[in-house]
Amino acid sequence: MSLAALPILVPLAAGALSVAFWRSVAAQRAIALAGTLILLFVSILLMQQVHSEGFVVLHMGGWQAPLGITLAVDMLGAIMVLLTGITGLAIALFSLGDTPERHEKFGYYPLMHLLLAGVAGSFVTGDIFNLYVWFEVMLIASFALLTLGGERAQMEGAIKYVTLNLFSSAIFLSAVGILYGLVGTLNMADIAQKLGQVEDTGMVNVVAVMFMVAFGIKASAFPLFFWLPASYHTPLVGVSALFAGLLTKVGVYSLFRMFTVVFDHDVAYTHTILLWVAALTMLSGVLGAAAQFEFRRILSFHIISQIGYMILGLALYTPLAIIGGVFYIMHHIIVKTTLFLVSGVTYRLTGTHELSELGGFYRERPMLSVLFLIPAFSLAGMPPLSGFFAKLIVIRAGIEAEAWTVTAVALLVGLLTLYSMVKIWAEVFWKARPEAEDGVQRPEPRTEGLVWMYVAITGLAACTIFIGLNGQPIYNLAEVAAEQLMQPQGYIDAVLEGRP
Amino acid sequence: MTLLSVVLLPLIGALLVPLLARARSPLIPAIASGIVTLAALSLLLLQAPTVLSGELITSEWAWIPSIGLSIAFRLDALALFFATLITGMGLLIILYAHFYFAGKPGAGRFYALMLAFMGAMLGIVTSENLLFMLIFWEMTSLVSFVLIGFHSDQRPARRGARMTLVITGGGGLALMAGIVLMGSIVGSFNLTDILAAGDELRAHAHYPLILTLVLLGAMTKSAQFPFHLWLPNAMTAPTPVSAYLHSATMVKAGIFLLARLHPALADTDAWLYSVSTVGMATLLTGAFIAMFKHDTKELLAYSTVSHLGLITLLMGLGTATALVAGLFHLLNHALFKAPLFMMAGAVEKATGTRDMRRINGLWRHMPLLTIMSAITAASMAGLPLFNGYLSKKMFFIESLDANVISPLNWLTPVLAAIAGLFSAAYSFRIFHNVFFNGQPRELPVWPPRKPALGIQLPIILLAAGCLFVGWQAEGIVHGLIRAMATASSGVKAPAYDMGQLHHVGPAFYMSLAALIGGLILYALRERLFELYDQLPPADAREIFEWLMTRAGNGAERFVHALENGSVQRYIALIILTAIIMAGPVLANVVWYGAKPMTPADPLTILGAILMMATAFGVVLGHRNRLFALLLLGSAGLFVTLTFARFSAPDLALTQLSVEVIAVIIMMLALSFLPQTTPVESSRLRRSRDSIIAVLGGLGTGLVSFAIMTRPQDSISDFFLEQSVPGGGGSNVVNVILVDFRGFDTLGEITVLGIAAVAVFALTRNLQLKHRIPNERDQYWASNPHPLILRTMARPILPIALMVSAYIFLRGHNMPGGGFIAGLITVVALSLQYMAGGLAWAHDRMLTSFRPLIGGGILLACLTGLGSLFMGLEFLTSWFGHYELPVLGHIELATALLFDLGVFTTVVGATMLILANLGKLMTVNGPGEEIG
Repeated sequence: MSLAALPILVPLAAGALSVAFWRSVAAQRAIALAGTLILLFVSILLMQQVHSEGFVVLHMGGWQAPLGITLAVDMLGAIMVLLTGITGLAIALFSLGDTPERHEKFGYYPLMHLLLAGVAGSFVTGDIFNLYVWFEVMLIASFALLTLGGERAQMEGAIKYVTLNLFSSAIFLSAVGILYGLVGTLNMADIAQKLGQVEDTGMVNVVAVMFMVAFGIKASAFPLFFWLPASYHTPLVGVSALFAGLLTKVGVYSLFRMFTVVFDHDVAYTHTILLWVAALTMLSGVLGAAAQFEFRRILSFHIISQIGYMILGLALYTPLAIIGGVFYIMHHIIVKTTLFLVSGVTYRLTGTHELSELGGFYRERPMLSVLFLIPAFSLAGMPPLSGFFAKLIVIRAGIEAEAWTVTAVALLVGLLTLYSMVKIWAEVFWKARPEAEDGVQRPEPRTEGLVWMYVAITGLAACTIFIGLNGQPIYNLAEVAAEQLMQPQGYIDAVLEGRP
Repeated sequence: MTLLSVVLLPLIGALLVPLLARARSPLIPAIASGIVTLAALSLLLLQAPTVLSGELITSEWAWIPSIGLSIAFRLDALALFFATLITGMGLLIILYAHFYFAGKPGAGRFYALMLAFMGAMLGIVTSENLLFMLIFWEMTSLVSFVLIGFHSDQRPARRGARMTLVITGGGGLALMAGIVLMGSIVGSFNLTDILAAGDELRAHAHYPLILTLVLLGAMTKSAQFPFHLWLPNAMTAPTPVSAYLHSATMVKAGIFLLARLHPALADTDAWLYSVSTVGMATLLTGAFIAMFKHDTKELLAYSTVSHLGLITLLMGLGTATALVAGLFHLLNHALFKAPLFMMAGAVEKATGTRDMRRINGLWRHMPLLTIMSAITAASMAGLPLFNGYLSKKMFFIESLDANVISPLNWLTPVLAAIAGLFSAAYSFRIFHNVFFNGQPRELPVWPPRKPALGIQLPIILLAAGCLFVGWQAEGIVHGLIRAMATASSGVKAPAYDMGQLHHVGPAFYMSLAALIGGLILYALRERLFELYDQLPPADAREIFEWLMTRAGNGAERFVHALENGSVQRYIALIILTAIIMAGPVLANVVWYGAKPMTPADPLTILGAILMMATAFGVVLGHRNRLFALLLLGSAGLFVTLTFARFSAPDLALTQLSVEVIAVIIMMLALSFLPQTTPVESSRLRRSRDSIIAVLGGLGTGLVSFAIMTRPQDSISDFFLEQSVPGGGGSNVVNVILVDFRGFDTLGEITVLGIAAVAVFALTRNLQLKHRIPNERDQYWASNPHPLILRTMARPILPIALMVSAYIFLRGHNMPGGGFIAGLITVVALSLQYMAGGLAWAHDRMLTSFRPLIGGGILLACLTGLGSLFMGLEFLTSWFGHYELPVLGHIELATALLFDLGVFTTVVGATMLILANLGKLMTVNGPGEEIG
């Protein structure tokens, strides 16, 4: 039996159940834990199924592709779903310890589940309009989570967030419409096949560019990333971490999906644009981070620069580069989530995200320091952590493709990332905490629930070490994913098998 | 296996020692570290006979074979020497550190980091796989970073650590690129293959690039000019760290790399010029600056820089004899520099300062240390009989033979002699200043504490080593150094003519000149210091920080220029991006397809014109928000009419209900906002924005036109065909919604549910400014619920609900369905609110809206799951026809259940939004929650 629908249905049901149990926060907490655990379990099962069968296809309602909605999970999809499961569980654990009552009572947990449903839906669907629907689910859920606190800064960030993302949705929807006009179908595999017969490559390129812009906004690529640094530092840390880990990666995933399986007709045009986008995204993100002195804003800008590495993998469009890109996505989701969660602990203990007001954690909390250093050095691409291998593969792909400029940019950005992580380390951990100003009493740190937070962070940190030490199996997964993407015929055949 | 354990032992030790740090006695972690190190050292020494006989020991395990990374070790004479140096010196440092830290907290942390560093360093020198080596290479940078910042509460320590990491880390990245490039060319990352492919590499077009990248890695690590700046700033580390990492081991890693890759990259002009020039520059800079440093550790740091330059220079010359000289000097440098650092640390502990202007005449207080330092300083100065003299003389001989640029051949020995002169001067200085030169001045600790014997023990051992090497030079050069040179160059090194070291020739005079000149220089030191002080001050750390701040400011300006918080600008950028990206291909687009146009009737044209006019009106009148909203509503109505005109009654019905609800909700929201939008942007910007908007709109319109005019072949035909036989309904739109593409609908009702929850949470948590009711409000408030409306509303409700039920039930076959029915119900219910007021309505209404939302989504999910139990795919519909009493013929379809879920969610969500927004705007504020 095909398990493709379960990663959507589990969080969807968990979300609906949580809404139904609105008045019982205790029940919602239990559902949060159970729901994300089951999601992780399901995602592992799905990964196994994809691993053994190659593609897992499910025709919703029994309507064969391309007529109904088809879910189609290839290795890339399965990897992304698995990462969603891991991140979801970590966020749920963290949230159990860190979510204030005011948020818990107003739908925090249901929104979290529904966001996960949207994310998972985007990864498993093989239908371009259905992808749009899951984007909407994600967008509205994330907007709700952003505004849950109702604070002024959150509103400001949320309005920018929702405006620019709605704009992206509008472009996406127009692109879907035009594409439908061009090929008369919504199934991605079918689109891929029919696009091959379209002679008007000019129009195909126009549509491709529209998708690129729409997904580029979602992925926060240059110069479309503004909504991200405007909003990611405002909500609860758990929410930031969930967004940081998964949301932009949905955009990246969609770029990978569309610009391998669907739009491979004029690589010289589309992927050259992507190459420039990748270089500029890496650079602008890391430069943006250099100018920041707020923990989460630094991390937010680094999301952007790291997205550049992933797009670089796609843009180089060689098997090795795609492997690198996929590896990078895997590594990044885990590491970035961890870093945001660490900022949550320091915030809990001090009540601030400003580097100038933080300090002293190296002496006070050596355990936390280690838990920061692992993902931070991993993000900066230091061995033997996951980021090192991710960067190594991408750099190698760049060198072998003789794309010198962009490879040099990637190396330089790696160095600046290291500098940035060290800046946080020196300010937050090494430096002694500055004295409070006269008369201002520091709030007592709230320590209840810290255990949950530590469990989440430790688990994720273990993941980045695990990826580093078990590079080969992970590489194999990425390799399968890349092969499937570079030879889309397998995907197309699997989806359209048995078509009327 | 042995090699693996050699590397793993310290690394595992590093993980375990922190656990011992809580032990009562500080001796325990020290002893544990010592045992681990000793074990690694003994394992190495057991291999010595095999390795020195010229055999190569290798072992390999797979790690990530796909990228060429394997856990591969090799042990030859070169690796063995370095590994022994690392472990042997490590042992002495642990002994030293035990007394240096004497009961201070943090010693456990220190041992752990030391062992981690030792493991990484051993990994570098014993790796067979270059990627594997790179991992250890970066690890040493990281551990060194943490060790330099050991006193993390001190700002200079943090800054020094940061600077070091950025420089060595940057070098590491360059090295990574270089290694990857080599590996790609050779097809393997294993040293054996790469060293064998030297000719291929040197002939390759990318050779200059490889060389540059690898050298960048080596030069940054080994503190070569101009990257030497980090080393003096790393002196904020505790002295055991300086002695170990920054004189004996880590800084030699770059030189090790040069020696290791010699067969692959050396023996070209590019190598000769670049490496020897850098070495010479480093040698001179270091030697010159060292003389003027008043801080003992800083003087030693610059002296280290200079000696590293010397060795690099010899590596650059690249001949077999130069290699021998370089490696011999490397051994000697470790032997005399580490004890000098240890001396500086011991003196600091005894006196509380490292300032040589204050520490003087310590010979009275620590005679043993004086004698030992005399030996090591003499070795550093290059006094005859000591080991340093021998390797330095070898260097002079090489400089005389060097053939760098033939007309300038005289330059190399001259510069070498000058460097030797400075080197002698600072050696005299550190010894004479500390132990003689009059009386101590204002020492922070007075009288100086007597250094423990334990802290002096490693110094004594190393000083003895200096003497031993000086005495047994021939045996060591021939037994060890030659084997190393052979292992390094891959060619059997010829016997070194030791006789020329005792020969009185040009090299002897150069040594003599350097020593005498050094003495003179030292005698003139006060004058020189005055001159030096007049030079412009240049603190590398300040420059580095300044650079970083400047870069940060530049970045800030750059980011601000892009990201200034204006949503208009962001959207303008997005549209511009799309236009620019699509621009180049627009010429290739077929703008007009072959399909004939539908004839236009006057009514349609009028409708289109009106629709455009309303849209344009919204743009023009958007400053008056109420007006704009009303126009927006009318634009929506024209869209509805368009749907109706082109025979899409379902869409028209839906659009109509959505427009009504949307306008009501927006009206509610508007009451919290100012009535007008102020003019904020300049005329110029508005013109810019309108151009962009017109371009974007024109583009979209043209593309749509191009698409609509071409012939189409789509899956729509299938839907028309299959609607009745497959979906059991003749209303194709509804069958698409609940069956063909029911999964989309499931997603969309989720969106609606979430939106309702979001509005609910927002209305509860939002802190709004207090609204000041104006007079118009008063007027309306005085008669809030007009009698006619109130009377009419009540009978409308049951009728509307009946209509809703009818629309719902017939939806599958005729225009209608759950979504529309839901909206009709909502309109009817909200009419009750308007007519009777919130309180009135709530008294008479079930208000569990949230469970409705959850229940609706669950019902839709469950309908889908039901088909799974029937062994069908998720959401597979089923339908049948029945004859029922009274009702007659009826068709039942599972799709109806799904539609019921849609209906429930729509009602729950919309009511939740309306009720809470409505409640928020009452005078009492949000009050108790609804729903």
